[in-house]
Amino acid sequence: MSGRYAFVLAGGLGTRLCLLSERRAKPAVPFGGKYRIIDFTLSNCVNSGIYDVGVLTQYHPTSLHRHIGIGRPWDLDRTRGGVQLLQPSLGSVTSDWYQGTADAIYRNLVHLRPRRAEHVLVLSGDHVYKMNYNLLYAFHQANHASATVAVTEVSEEAVQSFGILETDARGRVVGFQEKPRRAQSRLASMGVYLFDRAAFTQWLVEDAERSDSRHDFGRDLLPRLVERGEAVYAYRFQGYWQDVGTLDSYYDTNLALLSDQPPLDLRDPEWVIHTQSADRPPVRFEAGGRAERSLIANGCRVAGRVVRSVLFPGVTVLRGATVTDSILMHDTTVGKGAAIDRAILDKEVVVGAGGRIGWGEASTPGRACPEHLSNGLLVVGKGAHLPEQVTVGRNTRIGAHVTVDDFSGDVPAGGVIHGPDPEH
Amino acid sequence: MRHAMALVLSGGSGDRLSVLSAERAVSAIPFGGKYRIVDFVLSNCCHSEIERVSVLTQHAPTSLHDHLGSGRLWDLDRRGGGVEILQPFLTREHAGWYRGTADALAQNTDAIMASHAAQVLVLSGDHVYKMDYRDLFRAHEARAAAVTLAVTAVPPGERQRFGMVTVDRAGRVRQLEEKPKTTSARLASMGIYLFESEVLAECLRGHPVDLVLDVLRPLVEEGERVFAHEFEGYWDDVGTLESYYRANLDLVAPEPRLHLHDARWPILTRDEERPPVLMLTGAEVEDSLVANGCRVAGRVCRSILFPGVEVEAEATVVDSVVMQDTRILRGARVERAILDKFVRVGREAVVGSGADARGDGVVASLTLAGKYAFVPERARVGRGAVLGVGTGPEDFVENQIRAGARVADHPAHADLR
Repeated sequence: MSGRYAFVLAGGLGTRLCLLSERRAKPAVPFGGKYRIIDFTLSNCVNSGIYDVGVLTQYHPTSLHRHIGIGRPWDLDRTRGGVQLLQPSLGSVTSDWYQGTADAIYRNLVHLRPRRAEHVLVLSGDHVYKMNYNLLYAFHQANHASATVAVTEVSEEAVQSFGILETDARGRVVGFQEKPRRAQSRLASMGVYLFDRAAFTQWLVEDAERSDSRHDFGRDLLPRLVERGEAVYAYRFQGYWQDVGTLDSYYDTNLALLSDQPPLDLRDPEWVIHTQSADRPPVRFEAGGRAERSLIANGCRVAGRVVRSVLFPGVTVLRGATVTDSILMHDTTVGKGAAIDRAILDKEVVVGAGGRIGWGEASTPGRACPEHLSNGLLVVGKGAHLPEQVTVGRNTRIGAHVTVDDFSGDVPAGGVIHGPDPEH
Repeated sequence: MRHAMALVLSGGSGDRLSVLSAERAVSAIPFGGKYRIVDFVLSNCCHSEIERVSVLTQHAPTSLHDHLGSGRLWDLDRRGGGVEILQPFLTREHAGWYRGTADALAQNTDAIMASHAAQVLVLSGDHVYKMDYRDLFRAHEARAAAVTLAVTAVPPGERQRFGMVTVDRAGRVRQLEEKPKTTSARLASMGIYLFESEVLAECLRGHPVDLVLDVLRPLVEEGERVFAHEFEGYWDDVGTLESYYRANLDLVAPEPRLHLHDARWPILTRDEERPPVLMLTGAEVEDSLVANGCRVAGRVCRSILFPGVEVEAEATVVDSVVMQDTRILRGARVERAILDKFVRVGREAVVGSGADARGDGVVASLTLAGKYAFVPERARVGRGAVLGVGTGPEDFVENQIRAGARVADHPAHADLR
């Protein structure tokens, strides 16, 4: 099947990921010990034989742009097709910041023009899942659909976080509600859409001309199409799919990888998740090092104890230190005798010797983003330096690039240490 | 380094590396938990800004060719220059196979001269070290040398293993001795030679066979400007089983001499995309290197696990080198062994059991398993035994292989299993 094209929406703010997406788009947030969230979508594309992909970026794109580069890890560095980063620009009638997901594609229709694709696949770079898009194409064609939305079943409490679809017995969508309080159906849109090209172009142009539209697929375009009886179908995806939209779900999804039979198999040679990875030596376990129930990537050095944790490349755990139930990103160092518990440490964090990070009671919600920091998790932003012997309570937020001078002693539960202004 | 090219000699059959080189050139033997031996030289070239590298191959080159590919990993996929493979070929005049190091270069004189390089750096693909060749070029140019040899000090006990170099105070080479029984020289040649291309071209016209005997020694005797440049870092020739094993195990010593965790001089290699190491409950790993893709539930001590190795619960691996995708099943024990790729050690089997085989040194106590060897459940493999490529249950007598025994290679058996 040649001539297939996919747009990947990767501009998302990911506000509910707190510090992790403060300076990077959600798709660029590190995941699973060596990946970035967008790796799943890009790998799904190439594993499904789709080698022509446009990635739409807008919010803090640097980290994502560097990660994708020319697309080498995914074999997307190609003479024809490959990967193209589509950042908002000036210079034509349709150019401006992207207002919504549909608007983002509308402003990039120019990229569709030279392509032969009869269908347009629209994906989100925010989700963790392994999916063969060929099955979606087959379903779409078998049903003579104009649009097909991939759906997955979610729990009753989760319906308010997703676009929820109602279908008839044949899978045709008869109702579409964006983030409803309550719903009959539990089928959530995965942010994976397949459209007939001609209809798609027409709908986008129509939508762009409407002043009452927020130009969003889930909130405007798809409900409208369903309402007026277009052939919109729901493709039921049975595999594992995670939105990782909140700090808690991000944490749980990472730690779920540590079980004997993880719901997401990263070891499947038939569906490899590709990523940009630097050349790092194998993990070095030193005397006194101990790791159980953990994922530990190349380049790590373990001389302390690591339990139920995810260590990204280049993490160092020095002698006498313990890391439990935590996620430590690239090149973070845990000093001698320090203890880390239920914490997410972004890249290049330094925890001084003897520090106790994640200590004491968990009932005081965080002063910073209390809605995300209330279950005992704490977050430390990129490049933060924590002083020796410091005790940091739970539900705390330590900003990116704080230095030891920003601390005036221990940090109580729910506390905040602000980093330098993220916009400077 | 636009005016230089490197020639990497990677043709050796490496008989001394037993089953490890049964189906691959020495340069292509896995090393250090994720690398191949040749990665060290290629990474040195890359970091030293040498943009034109020719690799001379002869013995079992497939694995090496696959590994090199387009040279991308070392940034050697270039429009001008880049990496090129020089495998023996036929001409109207001669029969092709390389008879020695100098003959290999002589047969490729055209290719070498076509690069118009002012200097030619001759390297061996069988050595493990990190070296900035730019220092060598600077020393060479400062002395207006015709040839500069990189040399390194070796302890008296090891001098009979190497080509020893005697230099005068100015660093000029006065004598070259091949593997001398006794010598006063303290510097060994590292097999790294920087030639002025014109000098090399002239030498190759005389149909030399061996670089040291037929090229370098005559140059020294004729009074040409041959200098030595002393290298002080770690360097190891891993061309014997003993040195290969020792160099690997040295990486997991408390203070390894070779630092792989050096962000300024990373060793670049072909890295399959594998998930991070999964450490399960009960895992105990100390003083070891464990690469991505491994899954460990047992005990690992002073060992090196390459990508995709599985050590099941209650299994033990001690003082061993275990290559890609080898599986050590529940309750098995592996001690002082080198297991090649895709080996399977059955439940409660023991590899490296009992006393050492007769003979001396490390080799008598080391147990080897070639690619695809299969050790059945509860079987015993004695120390010093060598399981050939594709060894299977049919090779075991009373579920046992005796110490020091050699099971012949039969790769086809692995295909049938």
